[in-house]
Amino acid sequence: MQHLYRLIHANPRFHELERKRSRLSWTLASIVLANTAWYIIGTAFFPKNAETTGLLADIARFWGQPVDAGAATTWGIYIGLAQIVLFIGLVIFYINKANGELDALKDAVIADALRAAEEQQ
Amino acid sequence: MKKLKQLPLLFGLGLLAWAGSAAADVATALHNMFTLPADTSAINTKAVAMFFGFVIVSLGITFWAAKRTKSTSDFYTAGGKIGGFQNGLAICGDWCSSAALMGVAALIYSTGFDGLIYSVVPFGAWPLMMFLLADRLRNLGKYTLADIVSVRMARVPSRTLVSSASLAFVIGYLIVQMVGAGTLISNLFGLNYEMAQVIIGVLIVVYVAFGGMIATTYVQLIKAVLLLSGATFIVFLVLQKFGFSMNGLYQAAVDNSPLKVGVMQPGVLLPDPVNAISCGVMLILGGAAMPHVLMRFFTVPDAKEARRSVAWAASLIGYFYLLTFFIGYGAIAFVMKNPEFLDAKGVIIGGANMAAIHLAKAMGGDLLLGFISAVAFATIVAVVAGLTIAGASAISHDIYANMLRHGQATDAEVMKVSRIAALGLGVLGIVLGIAFKGQNIAYLIVLPFTISSTVFFPVLFLSMYWRRLTTTGMVTGGWLGLASAIVMLVVGPTIWKDIMGHPEALFPYKYPALFSISISFVTMIVVSLLDKSARAKAELASFDDQFVRSQTGLGAEGAVQH
Repeated sequence: MQHLYRLIHANPRFHELERKRSRLSWTLASIVLANTAWYIIGTAFFPKNAETTGLLADIARFWGQPVDAGAATTWGIYIGLAQIVLFIGLVIFYINKANGELDALKDAVIADALRAAEEQQ
Repeated sequence: MKKLKQLPLLFGLGLLAWAGSAAADVATALHNMFTLPADTSAINTKAVAMFFGFVIVSLGITFWAAKRTKSTSDFYTAGGKIGGFQNGLAICGDWCSSAALMGVAALIYSTGFDGLIYSVVPFGAWPLMMFLLADRLRNLGKYTLADIVSVRMARVPSRTLVSSASLAFVIGYLIVQMVGAGTLISNLFGLNYEMAQVIIGVLIVVYVAFGGMIATTYVQLIKAVLLLSGATFIVFLVLQKFGFSMNGLYQAAVDNSPLKVGVMQPGVLLPDPVNAISCGVMLILGGAAMPHVLMRFFTVPDAKEARRSVAWAASLIGYFYLLTFFIGYGAIAFVMKNPEFLDAKGVIIGGANMAAIHLAKAMGGDLLLGFISAVAFATIVAVVAGLTIAGASAISHDIYANMLRHGQATDAEVMKVSRIAALGLGVLGIVLGIAFKGQNIAYLIVLPFTISSTVFFPVLFLSMYWRRLTTTGMVTGGWLGLASAIVMLVVGPTIWKDIMGHPEALFPYKYPALFSISISFVTMIVVSLLDKSARAKAELASFDDQFVRSQTGLGAEGAVQH
């Protein structure tokens, strides 16, 4: 098995797979982390009184604003609901990419290695 | 090295001492257990009947599953034969504990918007788990978290760390569930607390010891369907009252709540930024590395199915969390001002934890109350079963088979130890559940998430992503992080001030995760960089092989051999 691992590691197509996967994973993960950070800022820095200023307080204040004048629903509710829907969407987007394009590349890389191992024997 | 080998033993002895101190309560407990409540009309017959239905079906499944549980692989991972959709539902069952239904509703009921941090932020753990961990975990692992780490790290020290932390995680979580169940049952079914502990304990041991992962999976699956449909129905009825206007519901909540518009705004539950950030980081990183959930990645045949099951799980759990936006506020609208659910002082009967349950009664009368009560009980039973199988695997696979017997034990011996471990955990659950009766267990809810984010997440993440991690670095950082987390929890406001009654807490924050995670990560990195031993060099050299396997699944457990 170790022999196969070495063959795969030497294959440039493996590094293409790895680059593609890692670019996809980290792009999507940073979207999730940024949204979560936004959510935590909204909760952590919500200003106790109207006079508080500053970047974080201003971001957080938005969370408690009604969506329409006179409405009870605040932006925070909509953002929270939208984040859950967005996260589900990202997961489904990832699985389509990973089970399709990336897995096809992975199978090709394994096939390359098996062929090379046979030729060496 | 020799010292490290003694650790599981010491850990076990500590647990025994802990359990032993509870023995005095057992006599009173036994007496209480066989005394029926004076007022038997308090027993909710509809709820009891529906719960019995669940018990009979699940025992039938256990009987069927027991015949199919022949090897350790069947026991730990159902032979890796569960399909993606089924596994997704079962993961949803594992994840959505009673805390997700009743706890989030309770927090929204008493603090409004901030309670939703327990819905949205832990849900963020799902996409993270999917993008960064799921593939690699499935490709490297076999039965437990410790398997993944020991692909590259020295077997005994890494397994000692991971299995001890897993057991601490499982036991902390177990106590929360058992105490929650006891309280719930005395409120709902009118049965007494001790009886509830025994019923749950016995059911769990039967499911896990005989039916293994197959029975546990089906119990989770049924429970997930019941929970999702019950919660959907409540939300449907709540929104119907407002002509399906979301704003109508929130307006009613604002009108009823003493917080007024504050109920729709942040800033009540987590008033200072450090606690809020620490709590958020704990929920997202801790949620991404729970052993009883990650273990389910090994019940499917390959990484493709693992991804499919995560996608199903994330969709179902996300859907459930969407419902929590309406259940908690529904309780404010229909329970908070309703004299039927308030005591003489105007306080909600049974505490805020009962908000979701009262809402069920307000919406659908006794029948829906009975159904939701049965669902809540089934939820606890299923989560405890998932925890028990994770704990039993840590004991039999990590500690017994790999550390004490160095992989020389036969399949039959390991199976026997697994079953004994399941029995032991069931008994321990009952004893601890009774010992912690009526105590403030708030800190215990923070414990599993803190352990998961401080130990499991850094260990898994660095061992898979960072070439330079060495066993010494990992073990030093893991133990230091774990110890610092426990110390900070003990001297923090919840235990030191509220429970032990000291005037001031020595550590000012309720959520120590931000600090313990930093200690863990920094120590692992610094010690690994300083580690120049021969073992460290070998571990560094083996990273490439591990990396290829984690990316391709070649050589993974249960994968089709080419």
